Amino acid sequence: MKQAELISIAENWFHSKDWKSFPFQQKTWKAFLDGKHGLLNAPTGSGKTYALWFPIVLQYLKENPNYKTKHTKGIKAIWITPLRALSVEIQQAAQRVADDLGTGLTVGIRTGDTSQSDRAKQKREMPDLLITTPESLMLLLASKGYDKTFKTLTAIVVDEWHELLGSKRGVQMELALSRLKTVSPKLRIWGISATIGNLEEAQDVLLGMDPEFRKNSVLIKSGQKSRIEVRSIIPKKMETFPWRGHLGLHLLEEIIPIIKASKTTLIFTNTRGQCEIWFQKILEKHPEFAGEIAMHHGSIGKDTRLWVEQAIRNESLTAVVATSSLDLGVDFAPVETVIQIGGPKGVAKFLQRAGRSNHRPGEPSVIYFLPTHALELLEASALKRAVKDEVVEDRIPYLLSFDVLIQYLVSLAVGNGFFPKEIFPEIKNTFCFQGITEEQWNWCLNFITLGSQSLKAYDEYKKVEVTPDGLFKVESRQIAMMHRLSIGTIVSDSMMLVKYVSGGFIGTIEEWFISKLKIGDSFVFAGRTLELVRLRQMQAQVRKSTKKSGKIASFLGGRLPLSSQMSKILREEMQSEADHKRNTPELKALSDIFDRQERESIVPGENEFLIETFKTRDGYHSLFYPFEGRFVHEAMSSLLAYRISLLSPISFSLAYNDYGFELLSDQFLDIQTVLDNNLFSAEYLYQDLQKSLNYTELARRKFRDIAVISGMVFQGYPNKVIKTKHLQSNSQLLFDVFRDYEPDNLLYLQAYRETFEHQLEEGRLRQVLERITFQNIIWKQCEKATPFSFPIITDGLRAKLSSEKLADRIKKMTLLLEK
Amino acid sequence: MIQNIKIHNNNFNLHPSGAIFWQNKKMLLIADVHLGKVSHFRKHGAPVPANAAFENLEKLTEISNYYQPETICFLGDLFHSKLNEEWQDFEKWVEYTKAEVILISGNHDIIPKYLYEDLGIKVFDELLLDGFHLTHHPTEIKGTFNFSGHIHPGVRMRGVGRQYLRFACFYKSENQLILPAFGNFTGKHILKPSERDEVFAIVEGEVICVSKN
Repeated sequence: MKQAELISIAENWFHSKDWKSFPFQQKTWKAFLDGKHGLLNAPTGSGKTYALWFPIVLQYLKENPNYKTKHTKGIKAIWITPLRALSVEIQQAAQRVADDLGTGLTVGIRTGDTSQSDRAKQKREMPDLLITTPESLMLLLASKGYDKTFKTLTAIVVDEWHELLGSKRGVQMELALSRLKTVSPKLRIWGISATIGNLEEAQDVLLGMDPEFRKNSVLIKSGQKSRIEVRSIIPKKMETFPWRGHLGLHLLEEIIPIIKASKTTLIFTNTRGQCEIWFQKILEKHPEFAGEIAMHHGSIGKDTRLWVEQAIRNESLTAVVATSSLDLGVDFAPVETVIQIGGPKGVAKFLQRAGRSNHRPGEPSVIYFLPTHALELLEASALKRAVKDEVVEDRIPYLLSFDVLIQYLVSLAVGNGFFPKEIFPEIKNTFCFQGITEEQWNWCLNFITLGSQSLKAYDEYKKVEVTPDGLFKVESRQIAMMHRLSIGTIVSDSMMLVKYVSGGFIGTIEEWFISKLKIGDSFVFAGRTLELVRLRQMQAQVRKSTKKSGKIASFLGGRLPLSSQMSKILREEMQSEADHKRNTPELKALSDIFDRQERESIVPGENEFLIETFKTRDGYHSLFYPFEGRFVHEAMSSLLAYRISLLSPISFSLAYNDYGFELLSDQFLDIQTVLDNNLFSAEYLYQDLQKSLNYTELARRKFRDIAVISGMVFQGYPNKVIKTKHLQSNSQLLFDVFRDYEPDNLLYLQAYRETFEHQLEEGRLRQVLERITFQNIIWKQCEKATPFSFPIITDGLRAKLSSEKLADRIKKMTLLLEK
Repeated sequence: MIQNIKIHNNNFNLHPSGAIFWQNKKMLLIADVHLGKVSHFRKHGAPVPANAAFENLEKLTEISNYYQPETICFLGDLFHSKLNEEWQDFEKWVEYTKAEVILISGNHDIIPKYLYEDLGIKVFDELLLDGFHLTHHPTEIKGTFNFSGHIHPGVRMRGVGRQYLRFACFYKSENQLILPAFGNFTGKHILKPSERDEVFAIVEGEVICVSKN
């Protein structure tokens, strides 16, 4: 069949549905059928699934003209989705096309949720299209004979590539692709990405460094602009609106009429804990919603999540309180309204959430913004500007993630085994490992075979073995099993299952939360009040509690820092405030607070850098306001504290939020000495950060993921509790052992590098420091906490830094006693 | 750097290594060394630095050279798990040391008793000596004072400006003293002392009393 004929098959299908194909879809079909690779930039709900599933089907029809009578076996395509939740939607759309065209093609899903029997079935006979996650694909590469399974592959589509790009799952994907390029000779690689600042780079990362792949590829932009209208929910009484907090419950009543006025409303929160609380409180205040609202977050059991998603589709729910678990992909046509609670911290995330609502062409998506404290109104005002000016963030890809490489190599060794000579060029061709040296490569090989860099007398280290003909292979079944179980744990914290005593799975929860509870305590989880009955292995067994309220389950992580694009706009808004323009409703509402800030201190303009000092019974507070996001403030606070501590022995407690940071000490800090000694200098930045105690603590935290990914800490697996007797350890302990005995270990060093590049955002930090050299530094000695300082000193995240001798510090400290 | 305490008219030195020297008996008390743990992890594919394994024995040698004890009593969890290569090094150490070696068996001590006895080490479940009760798990018997391990005690300290630090410690209550873990790859369990407890934290090579009494 000629290309034109093939394309008319697609066009006819669109006609039969009374739809019309978009130019970007046609472009993608043609490019694919011409054998090209590429990246498609298209927003959710734009028909991107059809843009790439159609040409895969058409290619099959082309190669198998008698498709109506004879089905050719073997997998044709893999569709990668970062979230399990998305797979059902894609499956339905793909299967519909396959059936309507009478192709006989099958579509299957394989994720962590897939049952053992279904997996076995798939292993015997792969579906024609397999929808899966990066982790599950990695698991497939860790099974014997994967090369034969994937030989027939014609395409791999990486959906929501922008979500994977800035994460280690993206690296996992790069490595898997590098292998598939070799084992699947007919492979086309395609990515689908929402708009991000660095689309071209995203394409390069996806395709790798081979010039052939890059040359033979296209970047297709859908050109569809999503029209978005942002409406802030402004408190009627600003006087009673809090200066701090991150829940936003004061404005609960304001969203009730919004919910009631629309068919289905999605309420986005920033953390799972916040999600639980909002769900609980809405029902408490408005019992009439019982049965009509639901909750959706990553810790809730799969069945419940799927039920909620289905209920949104068939319009049986009035509102759903959700976290980022509902951010992606799934197209929920019935959603009319979206409410964002608290600052989304990034423009892209906000746009994505806004895009969940109302895809009727020609009409804008409406998103309501509900501030959780007064200053967040400033963020709302900035968001509106960002949406209008179409500002979007970059996603920074990881480089040289040795932990993921080691996991990958062991995966290959668990499967067919591998020859380094064959794999090294593939690795070298990925974006992530383009800079890997032979020494580093050999280090990795030694690490997985010897557990160190030199062979020691009677060492019993065992993981990957080398056969006489040079094949790297895992022979031990126990090691193979432990490795497979650990592949899915890139997103990791020790999780416990929450189950009813009578059976019945409710969800998973961080172990540290459960460990704070006593038997008989009640807590709120998945919208239910539960009583802890007993702990069994990795299970918390519970029963329904009769108590009205309990501790709300809290979860780690999830809170993103202000992006650099948002920060910039925020500073511009601040400037307009300093000029007393007050030209948006949000800024108008804030006028009382800004007046007060001006009375007690100042509202800094773009060319001013504000420092405030005051004393409370907690000690001497010094506050600095770079408005550059939490991560940068974290780095800057420890940098500054370290430099000050070089002048004289002093201990600090550091606090920071997205607007600024605080140094709190038991001694008076003279800001003039800070300025006189030029402590904001960008010189010796790396060295100074490395020496600050806090840096080690940050690296220690980063090391947790690295230790889990590279297989040094075995955590077991939430759903399969297996005995790991005498093998429990934690990454903290490992970190110390490496520091003391193997400080040149690449994984240990990686923790520091990641801290510097990703956590401390070196690039942004340098920019701030350079900016400060041009700004007027204004030091205000205040009577008491100012409106700007209040959220930092009360809600900010805490860290510590000291140059005093430990023994001297201890003398000033008090032992934490039992209450 | 060493703390001396008196219990029932006996003198005890609390050493920053985590060991206690019982002067009257010339006996060294050591808890939770967890020998073989590093090798055990390595054998199961977790590449913990192999060098860490050797330091425990070096530390043991150092402290026994320092005190020249007549007896070294391990309060349980001497070995972390099954027999492995570190046993050979331990054998050499036992041969080298002049003191009599005693093991109070702990929950991790699954290596058969006769292997210890072949080295001339006596193995007990508990030991009562001049009114002092030596066990692995903290145990209270009326009229005796208990030395034990098992817990790997640690405490959290709070300073001004909301600073927090954690330290391993000797943890003493009225009739009981729990020793910190001696092993270097062991971790600690944070306890919350009551007003009456005495806590001796190990801070950069010093033993410091951090409780009020």
